[in-house]
Amino acid sequence: MAANIAAQRIKREFKEVIRSEEVAKCAIKVELVGDSYTELRGEIGGPPDTPYEGGVFTLDIKIPDTYPFNPPKVRFVSKIWHPNISSVTGAICLDILQDQWAAAMTLRTVLLSLQALMASPEPDDPQDAVVAKQYKENLAIFERTARFWTSTYAGGPPADDDCSRKISRLMDMGVDRETACVALSTYNWDLERSTEQIFS
Amino acid sequence: METKNAPGPSRSPKDSEEKDENTMYECNICLDTAKDAVVSMCGHLFCWPCLHQWLETRPMKQLCPVCKAAISKDKVIPLYGRGSKQQEDPRNKVPPRPAGQRTEPEHTGFPGFGFGDNGFHMSFGIGAFPFGFIASTFNGGHEQRPHNMFQERGATNPEEEFLSKLFLYVAIVIFLWLLIA
Repeated sequence: MAANIAAQRIKREFKEVIRSEEVAKCAIKVELVGDSYTELRGEIGGPPDTPYEGGVFTLDIKIPDTYPFNPPKVRFVSKIWHPNISSVTGAICLDILQDQWAAAMTLRTVLLSLQALMASPEPDDPQDAVVAKQYKENLAIFERTARFWTSTYAGGPPADDDCSRKISRLMDMGVDRETACVALSTYNWDLERSTEQIFS
Repeated sequence: METKNAPGPSRSPKDSEEKDENTMYECNICLDTAKDAVVSMCGHLFCWPCLHQWLETRPMKQLCPVCKAAISKDKVIPLYGRGSKQQEDPRNKVPPRPAGQRTEPEHTGFPGFGFGDNGFHMSFGIGAFPFGFIASTFNGGHEQRPHNMFQERGATNPEEEFLSKLFLYVAIVIFLWLLIA
């Protein structure tokens, strides 16, 4: 019966999201994966005036049998550089997806909350300590990194030439793109330190 | 819950206008028209089975699913629409919906010399006093217990009897003192 409520509700929410004005503005989107209503794919447009602007971020949404009494399990599929989202796994640190969940929340409110989280990170409650540290210590570098990741992994506007050049340098040394990107992002785009770390 | 004016089933395939009207009466948890509807003190509507399950999910932290106000099973109000008779008795369903809470209006004025429902209030006012003297019945302050004074007289327990006598003697002393003074 519980699973039945979950499926019924997702059907209704699905219609709600499709009809909502946010979809019209391309801010959020939900689509089914298979036809079981337990697995969905979400999309969030990067909020304006943030380093995520112009990118489209894909999410993996799993609906538990106990939904809506328990929150959906949401994870970023698109790689993203954000203090509250793991740059490795895409795991999200957001209270409403954990203990602050309430049964009246919907896929639409979850996606909008995530969009709000993207616009205002909480570095004091981090999911990714490396990113949070950079955010707190060097906001300009953080924004540059986040913008680069948006461009590389979420189809954002063309990347920073300097960053691309440094990545190419590392790739010339036989490092794969992703390792290069992570190392440079972690070490504030310091090519020497990144090279050192990779080859040590 | 068929609380709207339009007759017939709640979801007629007719038009979207009516559907928008119905969203007013949708449960905030299952998003369907609320069945066995209850409303929280903060004004949010739910099906009782849905809200019950929500409260069971977090027994330690019972918050309104909409506004996160503190709620509890005892503080929700069931809604009985006119059409609700056609439904089966919600008490037959598990879990039962909490009953409506009726509070009796408060009695005002003098409780009719003890002939009312309430126990005789111990007032030592001059007006009430002589009657108490004649009836020689004083109840030991069990205010809200409904009983008839005259039936009760023979059946009082020793403690009450002792209290009655005690108050009687106190009353006599005061009465005499009033006469002297």
